[in-house]
Amino acid sequence: MTAAVLAPRNAAVVLLRGYRAVISPLYGDVCRYYPSCSAYTLQAIQEHGVVIGSGLGVKRIARCHPWAEGGIDDVPLKKVRRYRVTPFGFVVAESQGKG
Amino acid sequence: MDLIGTILWPLKWVVELLLVGWHQLFEAIGMDPAAGITWVLSIVGLVVVVRAALIPIFVRQIKNQRRMLEVAPQLKKIQEKYKGKKDQFSREAMSRETMELYKKTGTNPLSSCLPLLIQMPIFFALFSVLNDAQHSKAGVGPLNDTLAEQFGSAKLFGIAPLHDSFASQWTLMTSGEPYVAAVMWIAGVMVVLMTASQFFTQLQIVSKNMSPETKASPMFRQQRVLLYLLPLVFAFSGVAFPLGVMFYWLTSNIWTMVQQFIVIRNMPTPGSEAAKAREARLARKGKLEAKDGDIIVLEEPKKTTTQRQQPMSKDRAKKQAKPGDAGS
Repeated sequence: MTAAVLAPRNAAVVLLRGYRAVISPLYGDVCRYYPSCSAYTLQAIQEHGVVIGSGLGVKRIARCHPWAEGGIDDVPLKKVRRYRVTPFGFVVAESQGKG
Repeated sequence: MDLIGTILWPLKWVVELLLVGWHQLFEAIGMDPAAGITWVLSIVGLVVVVRAALIPIFVRQIKNQRRMLEVAPQLKKIQEKYKGKKDQFSREAMSRETMELYKKTGTNPLSSCLPLLIQMPIFFALFSVLNDAQHSKAGVGPLNDTLAEQFGSAKLFGIAPLHDSFASQWTLMTSGEPYVAAVMWIAGVMVVLMTASQFFTQLQIVSKNMSPETKASPMFRQQRVLLYLLPLVFAFSGVAFPLGVMFYWLTSNIWTMVQQFIVIRNMPTPGSEAAKAREARLARKGKLEAKDGDIIVLEEPKKTTTQRQQPMSKDRAKKQAKPGDAGS
């Protein structure tokens, strides 16, 4: 059940990990924020799911222009956090995995 | 139309407008509209427009990088605090503190994600324009049927059609159909050239335009490792992408290389190798204006003598030095 709910965001996690491994290195560090735009989007999707997470990511990228101050800009966390993140970045139910 | 198509639509329109605009210009000055060189030059023109539009952003970044000198002591303090700590949490904390410092002092040296955001869709738009042209499909705007057909079949160096890719020719070859070997050769050469130009750009930055502090940071070392991934990416795209797209990418890479060269020569990072070289150069010409914060290193010109100096005993040296003392 939970796996089905989490499937879309885990698919997005795979995509973003791929982007961060292959395309990001082409440009090196460019982002004026910490975490970088792609890391922010990844975390946002892990935390809020594909729809809200992508929305947050788009808003962040729009903020990342040459006239922005930059600095630390973390993903807003949910009040009730029900999931756990594996080292790779997959989102799993709290009980799963470690048992 | 699908989602990506809708997002790319306006960009495709602009890319087509620029391509057709340059094409018309070249036609107006008497070049053959169907010739490969005309379309190839149109792609170069596209690169020039896009990259020239990005120059102000680049200059701003350079200015910010120069202001880094002001925060160098604080930056060093942070680096020292996390020296030798390579675990993920320390690294994260270090990045956080560094960013905080940039923000507090207004010296963020990073260029932001916007320039990429402009360039990447242009790249994809060009890709889809060429891909459509491959099937002689008209574009979304200024690129009409005739022009699309002409563009797709325009030949690079008069032999390799711009819409063909290594992969497309490979398929033809393995199925025993006629194919153009030149496409594969050119794609291969382009991959090598792209890798070379990318490495050269990076090498210039690393060897000449980086302050010792930056070189010592773990972030820099991480970036170095990733540099070796690039040839793989280029090789992959060299197989899959049409020659026209590869040619755009190559031209863009060359632009970056030249731009970097000019910047390193004329406005190098303070404290780097290139900065010392520039100051020495200016000093030789007697044009050096010392500004606050500039490190002026004047090196004594070394006396060069090709003649080997004869070894001599202490006594003899003393004797020789005495009469000549006043004179020399």
